[in-house]
Amino acid sequence: MATLNAYLLVGAVLFVCGVICMATKRNGIGVLMGVELVLNGANVNFVAFSKFTSLGLDGQVFSLFIIVLAAAEAAVALAIALNFYNNHLTIDVDRGNKLKG
Amino acid sequence: MSIDQLLNTTGRDLSVYFNAELVLSATVVLLLLFRLFSIDRFVPGSFVALVGALVAGGFSVQQVINIEDGTSVVFFAGMLKHDLFTVYFRIFLCLFLILTIALTVLTGIPDSEDSPDFYTLLLGSTIGMMMMASANHLLMLFLGVEMASVPSYVMVGFLKGRKESSEAALKYVVYGAGAAGVMLYGISLIMGVLGTGDMAILGSQLSALGGGLGSPGVMTVALGALLVLAGLAFKLSLVPFHFWAPDAFEGAPAEVAGFLSVASKAGAFALLVRFLLSLTGAETAELMTWFGLGLGLIGILTATYGNLTAYGQTNVKRLFAYSTIAHAGYMVMAVSAFVVLQNSDTATADDVSNSLSSLLFYLAAYLFMNLGAFAVVAMVRNHTFREDLTSLKGVGTQGNWVGICMAICVASLIGIPGTGGFFGKLVVFASVYKAAEVSSFMYVVLAFAGANTVFSLFYYVKILKAMYLEEREPGIQPVQVPTAERLYLALLGVMVIITGILPNQLAVIAKDAGQSILAGIGG
Repeated sequence: MATLNAYLLVGAVLFVCGVICMATKRNGIGVLMGVELVLNGANVNFVAFSKFTSLGLDGQVFSLFIIVLAAAEAAVALAIALNFYNNHLTIDVDRGNKLKG
Repeated sequence: MSIDQLLNTTGRDLSVYFNAELVLSATVVLLLLFRLFSIDRFVPGSFVALVGALVAGGFSVQQVINIEDGTSVVFFAGMLKHDLFTVYFRIFLCLFLILTIALTVLTGIPDSEDSPDFYTLLLGSTIGMMMMASANHLLMLFLGVEMASVPSYVMVGFLKGRKESSEAALKYVVYGAGAAGVMLYGISLIMGVLGTGDMAILGSQLSALGGGLGSPGVMTVALGALLVLAGLAFKLSLVPFHFWAPDAFEGAPAEVAGFLSVASKAGAFALLVRFLLSLTGAETAELMTWFGLGLGLIGILTATYGNLTAYGQTNVKRLFAYSTIAHAGYMVMAVSAFVVLQNSDTATADDVSNSLSSLLFYLAAYLFMNLGAFAVVAMVRNHTFREDLTSLKGVGTQGNWVGICMAICVASLIGIPGTGGFFGKLVVFASVYKAAEVSSFMYVVLAFAGANTVFSLFYYVKILKAMYLEEREPGIQPVQVPTAERLYLALLGVMVIITGILPNQLAVIAKDAGQSILAGIGG
């Protein structure tokens, strides 16, 4: 039987992987995948807490909301990424360098 | 709670406490249906949106009349909270929504083909901000932030064919989604340790953990709160989470930039206050004072960075983006003073509510002056097709109202007596001074706040100099705005001056709103 700490460890690893992915990937889609990892790291936390602590159903409801929101956010982010590609013919975020100062 | 009970209370809550949001949601559905049945060719989307915003504003004003002083109602099974503080922000957001829609009609940024999309996003984002202002559960905190952010990502990239616009939208969405993820992880830690997400009892749960700052439970909650604050700081464009703001503002249409700089700040500040208050309990004073002082430090960094970086800018929207960052710095100083005062033993209840009302007053004054500045940028852009300082050269001497409105707004942003910005700064500085009696670090904050007012003079005067002292360069179109636009600018200019000459009325309302949120806490 896995303990709460084991689940939290998985969540934390997912979170850190996501943050590293967001910080290092130059490909726009890669960055968005990092965001998904962070969201799912939090999701694992919520579900684990709802099983092992007094949080109860709140945690599971919260994770359902996160899944829906992640889908909405991914839809918007991919549309914006596609628009960026149409204008720049690349999805490399470093090529977006017109705005600075 | 039985199903019947739930149904009954939900029906009542929807019609009594949630009617403004409900009207805006209905307007969104109506906008989309009109397009489906091609009615939008006869009834412009802007008209539908404007009517919806007006009705929602009317309901919000009615809520002020109906609400009893100092009472707060929790509805939707504890998810949202209805008190004067909520209603204050509802009216604020409705007013701002009406002004923004009017501006987009005048400057014509969404063409008739795109207007249902644009107003759907605008209204959706505003509903999210209203939910941020009334959140009473960490779930609503997250949903409100996301609901306000996701439509604004799209609005930033609304001019689809422009390289700058698409770049700005991509940067905003990537950083925004990242910040939301980090905030969510923080929420999961807080909810896991405290066993609840209800913001009314977070503070008492935290106190019950015991063990002082060093205990693992309190440390975990503090880490979670830090992550949540990082997410909110991103929405508020506070240093070090400010880097998206200049890019997003420069790439976005000026109307959208104006909306983001005022409305999304207002929602996020309301949420920041609610979140910080929710963690306040019997045993948490030490932890919260640290958070308060940390916010003061961030206020110093934000205001100084914004003001110093703005000086070198040539693009007007980018310049005002840095000005927005600087003003967020002043406002976060007010929040810092509020938190320090609230968690001290010596401060009176009056001092605490004054510090909160200074924030609310500053936001209201900031609404008119910042929107006025962005409206001028949008109108000048329509005539000259450029947004740099050169396009403003000589505008003031051409004998139209654009220069006068911009001059009034800039004077207010500097904080010259007789404008709303002056009283805003005055009350914020006064509350920081009060907080300095509790913690001497706040004297440093006060000194930097004063110094920043001087720093800001340099770049604001640059705008005035371009408008009034410099000749218009040959080949740049003159700016001759039609009567409707003149009236709009005159309205904003007059409002800036009214908030400066007659600040008492607004101050009383802001104070009532500030007291209403404190009444439930007993602070």
